[in-house]
Amino acid sequence: MNPLLLFLIPALPLLGGVFNVCFGSRLSPRIVAAVAVAAVAGSCSLTVALWSLGAGEGTRTLLFSWLESGGLRADVGLLFDPLATIMSLMVTGVATLIHIYAAGYMQHDRNPARFFALLNLFVFAMLCIVLADNLLFLFLGWEGVGFCSYGLIGFWYRKTANADAGRKAFIVTRIGDLFLAIALLWLFRLFGTVAIDQINGRAAELDPQLLTVLVLLLLGGACGKSAQLPLMTWLPDAMAGPTPVSALIHAATMVTAGVYLLCRMFPLVSLSPTGMAAIALVGAATALYAASCAVAQREIKRVLAYSTMSQIGYMFLAVGVGTVSGAMFHLLTHAFFKALLFMGAGCVIHLAGDENDIYRMGGLKRKAPRIFWLFLIGILCLAGAPLTGGFFSKDAILLSAFARGDGLSALLWGAGVLTAGLTSFYSFRLLYLVFFGAERQTEKGHALSPLMSWTLPPLALAGLLGGLLNLPHLFGGHQWLSHWLGETAAELALPLASELGLLLLMLIFFGGGWLIAHLRYRNFPGEERAGWRSFLLGGWHFDSLYEWLLLRPYRSLCRFCWQGGDKALIDGMVEGLGRLWMDWGGYVRRLSTGQITFYLQGFAWGVLLMLGWFLLMAVK
Amino acid sequence: MIVPLEHILFLSAILFVLGLACVLARRNLIMILIGVEIMLNAVGLTLVGASAFWQQIDGQIMVIFLMAMTSAEVSISLAMVVYLNRRKGTVDVRAFDEMRG
Amino acid sequence: MTADAALPFALLSLLLWLPLGGALLCLLFRHSGNLCRWISLATTLAVLGLALWAALAAPDASGWRFYEDAAWIEPFGIRYTLGMDGISLLLVLLTALLQVVAILISWGQKQHPALFYALILIMETGIIGVFLALDLILFYLFWELMLIPMFFLIGVWGHESRVYAAVKFFFFTLAGSLCLLLSIISLYLLHGSQTGDYSFALDALRQTTLEPATEMLLYAGFMIAFVVKVPLFPFHTWLPDAHTEAPPAGSVDLAGLLLKTGVYGMLRFAFPLFPAAAQRSLPLLAGLALVGIFYAAWIAYVQTDIKRVIAYSSVAHLGFVILGLAAWNQLAWEGSLLLMVNHGITTGALFVMIAMISERSGTRQLSQLGGLWSVFPNLSAFFLLFCLASLGLPGLANFSGEILVLFGVFKVRPLWGGLAVAGVVFSAAYMLRVVQSALWGETRQLERNDDIGCREWLILVPLALLVVLLGVYPAPALEILREPIRLLLATRGMP
Repeated sequence: MNPLLLFLIPALPLLGGVFNVCFGSRLSPRIVAAVAVAAVAGSCSLTVALWSLGAGEGTRTLLFSWLESGGLRADVGLLFDPLATIMSLMVTGVATLIHIYAAGYMQHDRNPARFFALLNLFVFAMLCIVLADNLLFLFLGWEGVGFCSYGLIGFWYRKTANADAGRKAFIVTRIGDLFLAIALLWLFRLFGTVAIDQINGRAAELDPQLLTVLVLLLLGGACGKSAQLPLMTWLPDAMAGPTPVSALIHAATMVTAGVYLLCRMFPLVSLSPTGMAAIALVGAATALYAASCAVAQREIKRVLAYSTMSQIGYMFLAVGVGTVSGAMFHLLTHAFFKALLFMGAGCVIHLAGDENDIYRMGGLKRKAPRIFWLFLIGILCLAGAPLTGGFFSKDAILLSAFARGDGLSALLWGAGVLTAGLTSFYSFRLLYLVFFGAERQTEKGHALSPLMSWTLPPLALAGLLGGLLNLPHLFGGHQWLSHWLGETAAELALPLASELGLLLLMLIFFGGGWLIAHLRYRNFPGEERAGWRSFLLGGWHFDSLYEWLLLRPYRSLCRFCWQGGDKALIDGMVEGLGRLWMDWGGYVRRLSTGQITFYLQGFAWGVLLMLGWFLLMAVK
Repeated sequence: MIVPLEHILFLSAILFVLGLACVLARRNLIMILIGVEIMLNAVGLTLVGASAFWQQIDGQIMVIFLMAMTSAEVSISLAMVVYLNRRKGTVDVRAFDEMRG
Repeated sequence: MTADAALPFALLSLLLWLPLGGALLCLLFRHSGNLCRWISLATTLAVLGLALWAALAAPDASGWRFYEDAAWIEPFGIRYTLGMDGISLLLVLLTALLQVVAILISWGQKQHPALFYALILIMETGIIGVFLALDLILFYLFWELMLIPMFFLIGVWGHESRVYAAVKFFFFTLAGSLCLLLSIISLYLLHGSQTGDYSFALDALRQTTLEPATEMLLYAGFMIAFVVKVPLFPFHTWLPDAHTEAPPAGSVDLAGLLLKTGVYGMLRFAFPLFPAAAQRSLPLLAGLALVGIFYAAWIAYVQTDIKRVIAYSSVAHLGFVILGLAAWNQLAWEGSLLLMVNHGITTGALFVMIAMISERSGTRQLSQLGGLWSVFPNLSAFFLLFCLASLGLPGLANFSGEILVLFGVFKVRPLWGGLAVAGVVFSAAYMLRVVQSALWGETRQLERNDDIGCREWLILVPLALLVVLLGVYPAPALEILREPIRLLLATRGMP
């Protein structure tokens, strides 16, 4: 098979996007949506068709040299290796389903062309991240997804809040990108190349301290994109975008790009124990933080946003404890069930008449039983109900953390288990509030487009059966994913008894969370307004903290530079110089009185002075 | 030479200073003009004296030039004084300060 | 030496004097504004065609594509020497392109059209002359020639406080120019007294041996003129005023071209003539550039007039360019020059768009704009594209230059490079603020509600294509730049 065909995988969405940018506004919405869906579906089927190219070492292929100058060479080139294969299959697959869903969701919108163009461009940029063979090309995708996310979060731009949320997302993630960019520059300085495989291959040459710094920089980049502490504030606000956007970008794909980056650079990352510990710590802390926030959220999508953040925390934890397959496993199952949940949430919001607040929903189980069952599957996966995909993947991560056996890992493991309990609690809280109890919504709901409801079952299936991808030996599986990724050290050195014990513990936490949620939220408990709730609802008030700590000083600084620096100091000096000359001129002009005798007097005195001077000279 | 050069120079210096004082101190345009004339004549006197002292004709030629030029100058400046008088109704020099800065 | 021996005519001279001829024609037919704008359009298009033709020629071994040399004022050793290498070629191409844009954007000029177009054409001659001249007096002549049309463009056709802006612009640049003239003449005399050969030719003057202190002094004279033009912090305050008050065509020329002449002057004259002094000044240059990157980005964030935002963004971008020069290696210099061209196109395009927006909404105040997307989707899409290019989105024009600069700088001075990267975040902050206030939200005041017209498509589509092309495939431009820059760096001077 011609490896150049690989370029069609990102190129198809790009073409779809460009087509819709140029001609979309003149075509009917159906054609626009069809083009977009076809482009993504095409690249999905291509990924499947070219699957064999990705086995083993993978395939490298090059289209043209993008930037080449003085030792730097950044190609538009792809590296289709096992990691990229599995990720691109997930991205294109989930994206296809979400595009179809979006065709139903957006059918009454006035600007389908812009929406689908941005969505297609997003898939293109995401595939650039996934497939790029060098860090600069990856960076192109990295910034590209940031822009598409910006455009889509603020898609309904008439509301300033939406556009603000988009801008916040772009700028906060760009702070992360800053670190990635520095890492990129530094790696080039060290190795003279930006090719990923060469950097990974030669990483062992580096000084360990330098490696740690590089890993921390990469972590910074990953944190921005993946909404991890401390750059996480943008994700909940990003829910202002249309629901398919949240499902695709802020649940399944873009936010996991950080995890993917760390996996991609894992040979380098794994060389720095300190860096790994930092990654694990950030992951565990975010998991716990986000889960605690999710407990108190009122908007259905914000619950899911925080839960996304928390699950990505698990993935970071996985990378930090050294299991790429664990991270990728959870990334995949999470993509399936979280996309499912978001799309389900979109259906729920439609059914509830564009109501976002879960306190004003309820009783939807009777109204839409099929959505309920699908949503339930998603919730079960998220909460980690036994034998669902989410259960296996989460369990694998926690097992790996536990198996490392040092103090820090034990602490992280504890945080992970606690988070699992919280996750179970808030998942079922969401379920009960939305689907059980009396109907509380005031608006009349819309009917669902079949495009919306029929894209959920495949995802539900994938979420339920996702465990099969990497079924552990304990359950008779062969850990296919680990083998595909070429991870040989995936065997855990744990005795069977402790493995079973840990499983049991997970079950207890899952059941406990469910039980508490069941007891409290089976019937609607009424509005809750405790102080700690508003603290959690506001995401521990990180937003206000940043506002006070960073934004206000920044604005004052800007204003100071303008008024104090430019206007007062520099212009003041320049204009002061001008004024000095004018004053001096005004002083001198008084000498020219217009009186001829005055001038003559000056003349006479001058001559006298000169004569005196010459006389003096002559006398000497 | 009967009169010594020093005397001539002394006299013309006195004449020149008188003329200068007249120009600087008087406010009447005509008096200023007269002052200028006196200064010019002082210079002429010097030239004549010097010419006689060195037995050179150049100085006297210069004086003749000077006289011709002076008469031209006087006629023009008197005409201008008349004109100025007509414009402002005065020959006071302080009235004419349009060139002040 | 002459690569153009095959040509039946002197291409460089034609390129140089054609716009002036057009200007004279405009003045001749000043009674008919319509005729004038067609004349000027034809002239600028012809110049563009000639420049494109020049691009086809292959450079000779010494890097020159075209070279002309003739006696001019013999007694003082002043010659009429023009030369075009890759750097000049790229900048001349940019000039030719942006002048077409400038004419097209001022198509509806009502007030004294003939004079207006003539001034733009005269300025074109001045700018092209700066990019071609290799004799210092000739260079100085064109350097000053650029100034005068711009002064009148701002002072006569500008907005409310145009006189203030024009005078400020004039004095800033003139003060710099005089230092330049002083340095040129001193160098000439020094060189003459050393060798007995009184000449203003760049090649000859480079052979002058100078005391370090003298060299630094003369270098400073050159650099003051150039950094004021660039403009480097803290000499930048004329720029926002000039931009804000200038008519659209003036802003396009100012941002797209005039600023580039400063950088070109450093590269072609100041650095090769005084290499040792230049080396010593690099930390200072880099420091000022870095301060400028941040400072301008911060100020841009709180501006209320959309034109001022873009003006300050120019200061920040040119900071990157100077930082690249200060890194003094192939990578960074190619990046700097590429960034300069890219910045010329994106910022030129942004000023064009601001003119279109303010024609339609009647205001340039960010607080009074808003919701343009719902009324002018096409216009807004272009505006978004250029804004994104300006904030350095990969795959669009500015990024390719910026990242090369950063790579080059980081290679030699990681600290500078690392700091400069941070500037990118701030550029996102102010550009998105502009996008936000202009495009999103509710529609505010409007005077017209027609989307892009035919002439405007004609301006915007080529610019947009170029922005994408230079972002995705800058290789041809880099190829043109490679050899001249290598030679400049190799001999620590010019080819």
